[in-house]
Amino acid sequence: MDDYAIGVLTNIGLISFLALSAYLLLIAGEMSFGQQAFFGVGAYAGGMLTSMYGWPLPLAALAAMALGALAQFLVGLPTLRLRGLYFAMATLAAAEMARILFELFHFQRQVEGEPVGPDGSQGFRGIRWVFAHGVEPLEYMGIIYAMLALALAAFLLVERSRLGATLRGVGEDPQLAASLGVDVNRVKLGAAAAAGALAALGGVLYAHHNTYIEPRNFDLMLGVHSLAYALIGGLGTALGPLLGVVLDIGALEGSRIFHGYRMIVFGGLVALLLVWRPRGLLDERSVQWLKRRFS
Amino acid sequence: MTDLAQNTLDGLFLGSSYALLALGFTLIFGVLRRVNLSFGPAIMFGCYAATWVNLNFGVGLMALALITVAGAVLAGAYVERLCFAPHRNGSPIAAMVASFALWMQFEELATIALPRHIYDFPPLHGGTPLEFGGLMLRVESLVMLLAAIVMCAVLWGILYRTRFGVALRAVIDQPQAAQLAGIDVPRVFVLTFALASAIGGLAGFLIAASHEQVTPMLGMWSTLKGLLAMMLGGLGSLPGAVLGGLALGLLEAHSQWFLGPQYRDLLAYLLLFVLLAARVPWMTTRSAS
Amino acid sequence: MSALLEIRDLVTAYGKIEALKGVTLEVQQESITCLLGPNGAGKTTLMMSIAGILKPRQGAIQFGGENIAGRPPHAIVAKGIALVPENRLVFPTMTVLENLQAGAYQQGDKKTIAEDIDRMFVRFPRLKERIEQQAGTLSGGEQQMLAVARALMSRPKLLLMDEPSLGLAPLVVEEIFRIVTDLHRDGTTIFLVEQNAHMALKVAQHFYLMEQGKVSFSGTPGALAEDEVIRRAYLGSSKT
Repeated sequence: MDDYAIGVLTNIGLISFLALSAYLLLIAGEMSFGQQAFFGVGAYAGGMLTSMYGWPLPLAALAAMALGALAQFLVGLPTLRLRGLYFAMATLAAAEMARILFELFHFQRQVEGEPVGPDGSQGFRGIRWVFAHGVEPLEYMGIIYAMLALALAAFLLVERSRLGATLRGVGEDPQLAASLGVDVNRVKLGAAAAAGALAALGGVLYAHHNTYIEPRNFDLMLGVHSLAYALIGGLGTALGPLLGVVLDIGALEGSRIFHGYRMIVFGGLVALLLVWRPRGLLDERSVQWLKRRFS
Repeated sequence: MTDLAQNTLDGLFLGSSYALLALGFTLIFGVLRRVNLSFGPAIMFGCYAATWVNLNFGVGLMALALITVAGAVLAGAYVERLCFAPHRNGSPIAAMVASFALWMQFEELATIALPRHIYDFPPLHGGTPLEFGGLMLRVESLVMLLAAIVMCAVLWGILYRTRFGVALRAVIDQPQAAQLAGIDVPRVFVLTFALASAIGGLAGFLIAASHEQVTPMLGMWSTLKGLLAMMLGGLGSLPGAVLGGLALGLLEAHSQWFLGPQYRDLLAYLLLFVLLAARVPWMTTRSAS
Repeated sequence: MSALLEIRDLVTAYGKIEALKGVTLEVQQESITCLLGPNGAGKTTLMMSIAGILKPRQGAIQFGGENIAGRPPHAIVAKGIALVPENRLVFPTMTVLENLQAGAYQQGDKKTIAEDIDRMFVRFPRLKERIEQQAGTLSGGEQQMLAVARALMSRPKLLLMDEPSLGLAPLVVEEIFRIVTDLHRDGTTIFLVEQNAHMALKVAQHFYLMEQGKVSFSGTPGALAEDEVIRRAYLGSSKT
């Protein structure tokens, strides 16, 4: 497999964490424009732990996930009672604040005689744990996909379980759920924490793939993209957001056709697709139909 | 004291352009009940069209203003047809995602047509700033404020003195009752979109001319400012949009002075977040899901 | 007397659920025709289908020699049908005067509109007192009158009314029905949906009972014992 293909597939894997993160919140009935912030939190935290304090990547990843979960939980506490656009705007505001804080964040440490660490808008370079430990690009891609597969397995398990039904119920009709005795706020906060952890995991893997991150990476565009992937791919299944990512990054960027026109083509396709399928490709109805056909 | 006054003045000038952006955004949101993520990008399309014409033909300022507005209206019509008309009775989310998709199109189109990161835009007024009682007034800021005031007056006239204005306000107030009163609601949507795009286009022209440059970031920037100002002023309220825009301008001018440009944006977002989290009543009166 | 409105086998559905399963009825010119039935029978769905807010899947709505089924709401108003909806639906932040002006949206002549507004204020003196007041701040009865007046501003040949007495005190309800008879006397044809069967039967020349998406009875008041009508209107027929 050539380097370009590995690169594209790796990108798909990394962004998929973000798309899944947005998807989880959408299922719970909330639209977030801010998942990129938790992606960034994971990236910065994980990068700092491995490159400044010599933590091994797996441990740093766990810590990053915990931090991401906590961060999204804290943001969610005052905002999850907000509906629709209000919640979306709150997440947008929080994410932009995070990005600005990254720009103001200077924290470096001497490691082997060199200053290492986040340097505001100059970025954070030298996140080299993966290369220092001799992990090949293909292997790293494998690790990313292994993590993604675990996440997907978790999603598919939850979807079949009572928790999954509760989650979707809360998302579709919170009043009905509440009247059935569900603690809607707790469910939403739980979903938020999980979404934060997912995004952060993607972030720490991303940071170690790129070895260099800067605040600009975690801007609103990234967030709206991940939301869009989930909405285009469809909310019927966790494979929906992945489909969205694959369509954009895979089919268009990967295929190298339409070079330079990619966004124009993709944008047009998405708008047309939504006319035909307003609820995304793999929406609930299509998933039901597919299940019936193949069972 | 003069600093305070100067910042307040600058804030009002800045806020007047934000107010126009917010008005355009709110018109679409109030009437169609949908968020248009291509609002800023359509404005950028207009500005870029004017920039292109200026580069190749060198026309007068008024002509450029007209081109910007026309470009914004044209781009807006494209967005309306592709993103909002098909989902009129359907999902607001689908419309919003479609408008995001078109935003991507506009951005790429802009960078293809005019590949450099920054382009010059002719100034509103090349002369020296005026001085007035120890305060500095840039003439372009004054022109911007005046243009914004005139635009608001025109909008007010449309809303309260024309038949279309009655229809528009009726649709904002109670869309189903508007249908029953015999108002052609789809037509109101199209015309409102055109009006909002025109106002946005004017705002875009004023901003570009006052900064004397255009960049591809203008699209997202305009949408963000419009969205922020609309939320600050109370979702879906037109007078609120004006107040929100002015408030945002004042906030930015003062915080930039005291804290610097990065903290300026931080403060605006912090204010919005706090207001939302506290669920301040004026911000949450209209249904927005 | 000819039928002003003829509905034939009308089917209207929400997704897979058919709310109207083939409704057939007529409204005679210059009559007050009443539609009774329990909640969920489809009465409001029928009104919304005639008014163009909902698009029927099958069937015909004949009015003035044309089938108007599926036309958009503003076209229906142009044809001469106006609906006073359930829950009144005034324009809450607009004044009483502006509400009336909105109702006259399709009328071209400013002079006729002004005259019509004056006429409304004669018919509804309480509205005149509140002319500059925001409609959202009016009482339930006043809002109902405003909703009727607004519908009348479009000079309809057929006035549809969906549960005008809903949520109103008995004295106000009497006033509303007095207005209904006044309008009828002045030549307007009225098709009225009501839960308050007693009052409705007092004013109607003909009534229909609707249950589960179909018409289950058609007749004049007195054709069925009133308590039987009321029972069916609230509880439905006891067909198992």
